[in-house]
Amino acid sequence: MIKSVLRIAALCIAASAVIASGGVSANDYREMGKSFEIADSRMFVTPPRDWNQLSIKPGKFAETWTLDGEHLNDVTFFGGVEPGKPLVRELSKKHEPLPKFSEATLLIEVPELLQLTYQAYKKISEFKVTTVNPGNFLGREGVHFSYEYLDYDNLPRKGEARASIVDNRLYMITFDAPRLHYFERTLSDFRALADATTLR
Amino acid sequence: MIMRRALIAFLGTALLASAAAGAPKQKTSPAPVPPPYAGHYQPQGIDEIGIWREDDERERALANSSQVIRDEALNGYVRSVLCKTVGEDRCSSVRIYILRVPLFNASMSPNGTMRVFSGLLLRTTSEAELAAVLGHEFGHFEQRHTLAQFKAARKGTDLLSWAAVFTAMAGTNQAYRNFDNLQISVYGGLMRFGRDQELEADLLGLGYLNGSELRPQAASRVWRNLILEVEASAAARGLKKPKFDNVSFFASHPPEGERADYLYDLAAPDSEGRDEGADRHAEVLKPWIAQFLNDQIALNDFGASEFLINRLGERGWTADLWRARGDLFRGRGHPRDHMNAADFYGKAVSLDPTLADAFRGLGLSLIKTGRVSEGKIALQAYLRLSPNAPDASMVNLTLSSIGGR
Amino acid sequence: MKAVKRTIAIGMLGLALTASIALAQERTATKQGFELPANSGKTILLFRPKISVGEQSTGGMFEPNADWTDSARKHIEASLIERQSTLGNKVVLAAEAYGEQARLVEEHIILFGAVASAVVNYQFFVGNRLPTKKRDNKAGVFDWSLGDGVRNLPGADSADYGLFIYNKDAYGSTGRKLLQVFAALGPGLGVQSGEHLGYAGLVDLKTGDLVWLNADAAMGGDVREADGAQKRVRQLLEEFPGSVSNSAERK
Repeated sequence: MIKSVLRIAALCIAASAVIASGGVSANDYREMGKSFEIADSRMFVTPPRDWNQLSIKPGKFAETWTLDGEHLNDVTFFGGVEPGKPLVRELSKKHEPLPKFSEATLLIEVPELLQLTYQAYKKISEFKVTTVNPGNFLGREGVHFSYEYLDYDNLPRKGEARASIVDNRLYMITFDAPRLHYFERTLSDFRALADATTLR
Repeated sequence: MIMRRALIAFLGTALLASAAAGAPKQKTSPAPVPPPYAGHYQPQGIDEIGIWREDDERERALANSSQVIRDEALNGYVRSVLCKTVGEDRCSSVRIYILRVPLFNASMSPNGTMRVFSGLLLRTTSEAELAAVLGHEFGHFEQRHTLAQFKAARKGTDLLSWAAVFTAMAGTNQAYRNFDNLQISVYGGLMRFGRDQELEADLLGLGYLNGSELRPQAASRVWRNLILEVEASAAARGLKKPKFDNVSFFASHPPEGERADYLYDLAAPDSEGRDEGADRHAEVLKPWIAQFLNDQIALNDFGASEFLINRLGERGWTADLWRARGDLFRGRGHPRDHMNAADFYGKAVSLDPTLADAFRGLGLSLIKTGRVSEGKIALQAYLRLSPNAPDASMVNLTLSSIGGR
Repeated sequence: MKAVKRTIAIGMLGLALTASIALAQERTATKQGFELPANSGKTILLFRPKISVGEQSTGGMFEPNADWTDSARKHIEASLIERQSTLGNKVVLAAEAYGEQARLVEEHIILFGAVASAVVNYQFFVGNRLPTKKRDNKAGVFDWSLGDGVRNLPGADSADYGLFIYNKDAYGSTGRKLLQVFAALGPGLGVQSGEHLGYAGLVDLKTGDLVWLNADAAMGGDVREADGAQKRVRQLLEEFPGSVSNSAERK
């Protein structure tokens, strides 16, 4: 009995943490047609359909949107990662550092930066960048790339991303989803969202 | 220290019923060659039969896994090393699985499944070193430590092997545990043993080596190299040298320096001149080094990766090694790193002018150090060698747009 | 959606929480319009349950324990087999698969776990609902799927529904650790640690739609023991569509 009460307490604490960090509601509504600022940056997006923003942020410059939950579809915006910083919050700066974006990073190297970040963070071996092409992002030249990997939970996932480097800051949008059913299902919604993302 | 030597000597005696104990502080008698094999142990009683069945289950999952490296040549080699070390009788009861996991480890579970990680193959520089580790693991198996642990571990102890935890100390504390969780956990069988058990396994492992044609001093070297790697990793991260004693696991292990020492001392006399098998080892691993190094670099442990690459380079630098070193430095990207990376990639292509990835890295590094026209030439070479590369069109864009950001 | 909600007296624990939270304990949902009466002539394909038992490390990560997992699997499977006759319709145990087929089954089971997790976190856990689904939730919509790739699963062509069981237990965790996990890890890049997760889901093998889900992120019982596992299975299969109740006489 005590154990289950403690478990409930655990969930309570967890729940309150979720709610506290997200402001008023647990996860925020990103209503179609309205303009939203991303991660206190110059990046803005006017979603063509309703989305949800998760209250837990992967890092200082990042935020995650989803339709069904991040394990089924995960769109992560990176709003101006500064030189010298990792893409997401490190578990431990000293013991588990992540690769850093730098002023010297070339656009063509951004897929590698994402790959190395994912591999180091999730501790996965199987990660392959499948395509890397020039393409527009934020109304300027950028890179479009796709990838596939065996995720930490042993579920194969696919990803697609777009990135641009502006004033020595990295702006990127990534979409990850299980390759079974979910990636295809939300791909066009992702692309529409990426198209609707701008820089001020 | 004296106690330890006495314990070693005692174990040597007790284990193999031979009057081997030497005086403390002097070079003790060599670890005796193990007696003839009593045959593959069969499970006895309901509990053990149950354990075997569960182990068979895990082996089946393992066999289906995408992480198993099935290459015949590589598997044949690892098997031959095991058989050379422990003898055909013992060897015939083992099924070996090589897993693509960038950590130093090998293990055996009660039903005779041996798991060898690619990280182990990358870190051993000779047949003798590989034999030392495989022999040690087989020692645990032969002494049925693994079985004892399985039985004892029903509630509470988590299972980690000595080497794997050691690697975990190399600044990637979570890394090992996460690998255990993330992709290989279902394949199970990673054990943690008590001090006495580790000593026993060391003795047995060394005993096998002593009775083989391989040079037993290699066992000591494996341990020393691991220490150096851990220290290099910590140094690169600005951390203090790891205090191995602080980790509770190491309470059950002989202090590292001491272990290297007694492993050396227990090698058979006049065995220095034996075959190390360094050339054979390098030859078999040659086609795999690039991939294993890529996996290692992906751990983002600069110090350890640099240490390993340089150690491999001592035997002779290859294009793959230079390319990997280039990737390592370019990936870190500190101010001077790009200059060094360009240098390394340059060495790679001079050794192998068909190594497309090296040209790519060279091109990017040269551009990043202001040598733009040279960089362009290298990128063009990359495109010529690899016209269907996934990023070919991006390279073209890079070529045409260089000059400003 | 038919939902069984169990609210806990939060005041008893002296915790201050916003009023809208109802804790997700055991929750069940059915896709609207779905019905499966007993003896309907439909066949249910029972896939090998996915069981994972381990510990929560200080870093908040899940460390599986091979021994515990084996024990739990043994007990849970035995209990499932014992209970299949109470499910009300014909149950076929999925045959052992090998190679590519095994991999396909495995991928679907893990996907099922991910979907069930999402349902628990973002639908059953009322305080955490996704805003885009709020209207759906109020209207009792339950719309989740594994995709029609389920048709390719071995045995799927001769069955109507697939029963997936996913179970994950992490021992030794505390609220603080859950907090660490939530605080330190971002969504999509971190492990969503549950403590004692039990999911049982019925999937339409033509469409992949999840027609019934029983999902609980805080199940009781120690699955490493036979009685704990039996209790767990009982809870997982509670209110299974078409099931004959425990007190009913077996034919």
